[in-house]
Amino acid sequence: MTARIVFLLMIGVMMFTATTQSAIKFTQIQSPNSPLIAFRIILRAGSINDPKGKEGLNALTAMLVANGGTKDLTYSQVVEKLYPWAASFDVQTDQEITTFTGEIHRDHLHDFYKLFSDLLLHPRFDEADFKRVKDDNLNYLQNGLRSTNDEGLGKEALNAFMFEGHPYGTTDVGTVQGITSITLDDVKKYYAETYAQSNLWFGIAGGYPSSLIGEIQNDFAVLPVGQHTDITLPQPKAIKDMEVMVVEKPARAYAVSMGYPIPVTRSDKSYYALLVANSYFGEHRTFNGILMNHLRGDRGLNYGDYSYIEKFTGGLGGAPFPNPNTPLRQQFFSIWLRPVQPENTHFAIRNALWELKNLVDKGLTREDFENTRKFLINYSKLWVSTMSRRLGYQMDSEFYGTDYYIDAIVKELNSLTLDDVNSAIKKYLHPSDIKITVVVDEGKGKQFLDDLTNNTPSPITYDAAKPQNILDQDKLIQIFPLAVNASKSVVVNAKELFEK
Amino acid sequence: MTRLLGVFSLIVFPLVVGIAQGKRDAKESQIFPYTINQVTLDNGLKIVSIPFDSPGIIAYYTVVRTGSRNETEPGKSGFAHFFEHMMFRGTEKYPAAKFNDVLKLMGADNNAFTSDDETVFHTVASSDALESIMDLESDRFMHLKYSEEDFKTEAGAILGEYNKNASNPFQAIEEKIRDTAYTVHTYKHTTMGFLKDIQNMPNQYQYSLTFFDRWYRPENCVVVVVGDFDQEKLITLAKKYYGEWKHGSYTLDVPAERPQQEEKTINLPWKSKTLPTLAIAYHGPAFSDSQIDMAAMNLLSMSVFGETSDLYRKLVVDGQLVESVRGEMEENRDPGLFYVFARIKNRNNIETVRNAIYQAIETAKTEPVSAERLASIKEHMKYRFAMGLDNADHVANNIARFITLTNNPESVNLLYSLYDRVTPDDIMSVAKKYFSQNNRTVLLLTQQEGKQ
Repeated sequence: MTARIVFLLMIGVMMFTATTQSAIKFTQIQSPNSPLIAFRIILRAGSINDPKGKEGLNALTAMLVANGGTKDLTYSQVVEKLYPWAASFDVQTDQEITTFTGEIHRDHLHDFYKLFSDLLLHPRFDEADFKRVKDDNLNYLQNGLRSTNDEGLGKEALNAFMFEGHPYGTTDVGTVQGITSITLDDVKKYYAETYAQSNLWFGIAGGYPSSLIGEIQNDFAVLPVGQHTDITLPQPKAIKDMEVMVVEKPARAYAVSMGYPIPVTRSDKSYYALLVANSYFGEHRTFNGILMNHLRGDRGLNYGDYSYIEKFTGGLGGAPFPNPNTPLRQQFFSIWLRPVQPENTHFAIRNALWELKNLVDKGLTREDFENTRKFLINYSKLWVSTMSRRLGYQMDSEFYGTDYYIDAIVKELNSLTLDDVNSAIKKYLHPSDIKITVVVDEGKGKQFLDDLTNNTPSPITYDAAKPQNILDQDKLIQIFPLAVNASKSVVVNAKELFEK
Repeated sequence: MTRLLGVFSLIVFPLVVGIAQGKRDAKESQIFPYTINQVTLDNGLKIVSIPFDSPGIIAYYTVVRTGSRNETEPGKSGFAHFFEHMMFRGTEKYPAAKFNDVLKLMGADNNAFTSDDETVFHTVASSDALESIMDLESDRFMHLKYSEEDFKTEAGAILGEYNKNASNPFQAIEEKIRDTAYTVHTYKHTTMGFLKDIQNMPNQYQYSLTFFDRWYRPENCVVVVVGDFDQEKLITLAKKYYGEWKHGSYTLDVPAERPQQEEKTINLPWKSKTLPTLAIAYHGPAFSDSQIDMAAMNLLSMSVFGETSDLYRKLVVDGQLVESVRGEMEENRDPGLFYVFARIKNRNNIETVRNAIYQAIETAKTEPVSAERLASIKEHMKYRFAMGLDNADHVANNIARFITLTNNPESVNLLYSLYDRVTPDDIMSVAKKYFSQNNRTVLLLTQQEGKQ
């Protein structure tokens, strides 16, 4: 079967990117016939801008701006105004940037714009709103991430472990002690220093009038011009062998995340070679990947097994596509194993790394390469099926200094060779020098780590008869050696994480 | 109402970039702005198709009107969901790997989901993949074939799906509250099923064959196609690929739930650190696009529990006693539950919050919502619905839900007409009818003593 390459949202669209007479950068995708208008307003600051001891200040400030009032309206009055329009003004906090998002029907464009520009320009900073938002962020860490979401916990623990001592090493909402120490005055000061024209990047798409841009420039001129400066990032600490963090909390199955920083982002040519390799190995929530087919499909170990060559958020629940606007200047490779039965977790870790070793040793065949390349060229078109997503991906492309990402995938993949892909795998991917986090049940951490460290065999049994080739592989996998670096490996309680 | 409809006629212009407005020819007064074609094949399979300007893209859904509601036999809970998984295990013509290879070359997004009343298989791909999709889908719906070994292996993935949410207290809350509130109806169990049944699934291979034979039949399924396609070609292909599918004969007898006679309470201790969570469930109406109760309950949920409600302001914004509070009516084929959830910040305030919720409910019985507020809520619902129709997949997903509920995609328009007719008196009336003490089940989840 042949499928033509699909072109979505490419009709009736005019795209502009400009830094105009104000210091605010604009990205525009104008589509006059569209009744919808999407906004993505990026603040070029994120959790990496948090002052030491005030981890969470960037997120708390942004959340208070988006979920507070204006000088004229209380928070409840803002909600009341937005309600009949079915509009919202939300914020996505992240490490490098913070993105305010809104979507509105053109019937209410002007009123909506006035309202959210007031939120951004004249935040109320009410003490009661501050307390509410601060409580929410503390609850997210103390009663959410640490206790009720083992998959998210494993991923955030891996991030903290991989980027220990690095600006990326806290969650984007901060730490418990950091948030606790933040005062409303801290928020006001951070807002005054950071919400400057040079830090703002306005994305707008849909059926808006051209005059809106001038209006925005005019209104936002009340902000100081400022001077955008990128925070200097150190190199992440080198990883030696396999460094393991076992996290204890009540858990009936064990979530696993593993990975390491890689010196490749969308700005690099090698990224596109790795994009193909990764899709073949672990495309998120599809049955294309080696990991998914061998761990879930062949062995029924869990619900899903995927890999990534950059930060990936979203794509759970509904459509499996990644959220835009989480760009990083330093990226990482990771593998995510969804919770595995305790007795099979050691085996599952070995199985994933055994598959990674095979990928590095053998690479892709020509057929694998051609099929995966073709898949990605078509599939990536689906990532931008709404105007807001298209806008977000366009802005990410500008962050990385590339052509529009979806176009870049087509261009780069069409010129890619099998050798490019297999060389990139050899250069950047490896089953050693990796950090692993495993969320295990209370009191089970030490034994689990000992078994990993001692390379205790981890045989697996099945309810069903298995083909001989699977059983033969299992014999190799159950004793696949893992070079655990005991001096760099720890057992911690979940309540110790994200504390400071 | 005239004003609202007038406003709404502006909304319903196509919401996706590049759409030619001339394509729009549905009635101006209806909420759903696109033409809905319906063709039923001789074997009973209905093909619903909706032209939508998504250049080069189609969404292809197959709605099986079978969900966990159909699991009437003891020990078989969770089977509709399990069977959703088995549908990816292949046929003679397209074994699982080949099935996936074809989808991979299309660059398609392909998946499925199950709920109380439905199992839905969905694909988004390029328009010229239409025939290939119909070939794949018709083949597995007619000729699914898997080994007992594959069946047992997939049971591991199901347990994995249960496990991935096991740390989330809301999974346990839903399990407990359904199990308590219902005595005989199959809504007693969640779509995942009772854990003991999930753990016993590897031993149910023979039953799985029976399940497929009963429910994967043309009269119980509806194909929905939305996007850029040719109608004549679609129907020709439907006859070609689905024409041989044989009509089934099984009839379902779901035990009717008798009225609850007294309040039921549950205390659920939780091992991990958590905020106390209060869940209150009242038996409510079944979905209907002609009777006012469900529409009134939906509007009530926003009026009493929504973010512009007095209760929300009192508990979330001003009092800051709870992290969140919400109320929602399940839209199901048979009578579902109206849930109220509140995550309480301090356990000392549990009673205060509970009383505030009960007081808000009592007020809803006696004090009519103002006409202005009701209009604002109705406008919110209409804009929310219209703004959600922003790509072919979202349109198909919306329509699939109505097909599940009534087997009629036009129910979307009927329901929103009903919303227009709901009055403040209707809302008071359903509040009195459903929100009685004898009709409720109350669950309190708190952190187990000694845990932190």
